[in-house]
Amino acid sequence: MKSVRAVVFNAYCWVVYGFLLAPIAVVVLASFNSGAFLTFPPQGLSLRWYYVFFDNEVFWRAIRTSLWVAAVATVISGAVGTAAAIFQVRYAGRGKEAVRMAMLAPLLLPEVLTAIALLFFVYGLGIGTKGMVGLLAGHLLVTLPFVFMNVAASLESFEPDWDLAARSLGAGRWARFRRVMLPMIKPGVIGGCLFAFIISFDTFTMSFLLKSVGTATLPIQLYDYLRTNFTPEAAAVSSFSVILTLVVVVVSEKLLGLKIRRF
Amino acid sequence: MTRRAAPLLLILPAALVLTVFLLIPYFNIVLMSVRMPGNGVPYAPGWTLGNFAKFFADPFYLEQLGNTLWIGAVTTLACLVIGYPVALQLARGSGALRGLRYGIVLTPLLVGIVIRSYGWTILLGNNGVINRSLVGWGLIEAPLPLMYNGLGIIIALTHVLLPFMILPIMGAIQGIDPALELAARSLGAGRNTAFRRVVVPLSLPGIQAGCILVFVLAISAYVTPALIGGLRVKTAAVSVVDALIDSFQWPFGSAMALILAVIGGGVVLGFARATRMAWVRRR
Repeated sequence: MKSVRAVVFNAYCWVVYGFLLAPIAVVVLASFNSGAFLTFPPQGLSLRWYYVFFDNEVFWRAIRTSLWVAAVATVISGAVGTAAAIFQVRYAGRGKEAVRMAMLAPLLLPEVLTAIALLFFVYGLGIGTKGMVGLLAGHLLVTLPFVFMNVAASLESFEPDWDLAARSLGAGRWARFRRVMLPMIKPGVIGGCLFAFIISFDTFTMSFLLKSVGTATLPIQLYDYLRTNFTPEAAAVSSFSVILTLVVVVVSEKLLGLKIRRF
Repeated sequence: MTRRAAPLLLILPAALVLTVFLLIPYFNIVLMSVRMPGNGVPYAPGWTLGNFAKFFADPFYLEQLGNTLWIGAVTTLACLVIGYPVALQLARGSGALRGLRYGIVLTPLLVGIVIRSYGWTILLGNNGVINRSLVGWGLIEAPLPLMYNGLGIIIALTHVLLPFMILPIMGAIQGIDPALELAARSLGAGRNTAFRRVVVPLSLPGIQAGCILVFVLAISAYVTPALIGGLRVKTAAVSVVDALIDSFQWPFGSAMALILAVIGGGVVLGFARATRMAWVRRR
């Protein structure tokens, strides 16, 4: 009797895992279609649409924009988020919970509302969406909480005694940070930055509302393309993006032994 | 510089970013919501509460708000029912497959929204995989309307929000001492009773956190309803963006956004209060 229950329970869970994977799996499978239209299951397998995509300058420009925006956003939120996490864990005292809530606010507030608020803001400043200020600010806001959470989590296991020991041995503030604290919290910093990069690379709402002419990121370009085209090229582009994300996650898990925290 | 002030430098950049790019823009939205609607321009000089009155006087917007809250509630319930067993398995399971399972749970968060919606179009569309299979097997005559309606939105939202339900519940269950369940069993409780009377009540904080997260994210979601709901079914968040971006009604759109935020927050507070009372009484 017990085993029947276990089998049913397991089967149920695997159905849920199937549900979670389904929409992504069909896109990847559809990308190997050899026909001119998106049919499922694919009519014959080929890499035809990957070649079309690799020759399409429009998507490459979008990928370059995405990588650039994600890199800038990651570097800035990496620095700002790490500093804030150190403050929150070590120095905030009674304000600890308040600082945490403030740092997580961009995650808790509706992204679309934040994007609209930023849009008004850049128009109010008179710069509109001409430059990339609004776009970068939006990406900075969506990535900041992830760096903060990951670094704060790794700091919780940092013993203040280590810092004191270094201090009693005569290390200055900067040396203590670089030689003692940073090596200990490195997994959190790298994990947070990787996650920030992925989030920025994939985010749609911020880019959609704050983009300017010529700054379409990959999700925006894909969205525009899908409104008028139904060829499997979009599936090839999507699969490429999924694989890129997967590589980042797997490499960070396997090589660096990181646990990426989403919360 | 004094020793005391130095740590403040650490929080200064973050405080600046949050003040300039979050606090001031949100304050601006509040101001915008009481400005006069403009004609041809985003807003006119002067102040009014008319934007809020316009919303509450129009049955169209009220019905839409009701629909949005309903979609949020159904999505939350679906996530709870679908996600709880998975959270239990992840919390209690071990072995090589655990990492894989955990990875699968995170996939909706790691894959961009456009790609996910594209996948749902391939699956749920009138010519999609599901409808063609069902027609092909002779189970149905005409394609079922799975997309461009509330059902499609609920399916897609449940998919992307499941991790937000599973992870907090998993955390709560991991925090339960397995000895408690064993104690219940040794006192004569069956497997079901021990689960119902020990594990479920102790995982309630996780359930509460998960439900609040999923509900808030569901009612404020914009891209999923916009892409999956099509033009016919609009949630309140989609209407807000329409008003602001397409028809350029900045004051009214801002008022709508605030109303949605306040009502959403109210529902969450009410829920938090009601559930806390429910499990205090239980003890």
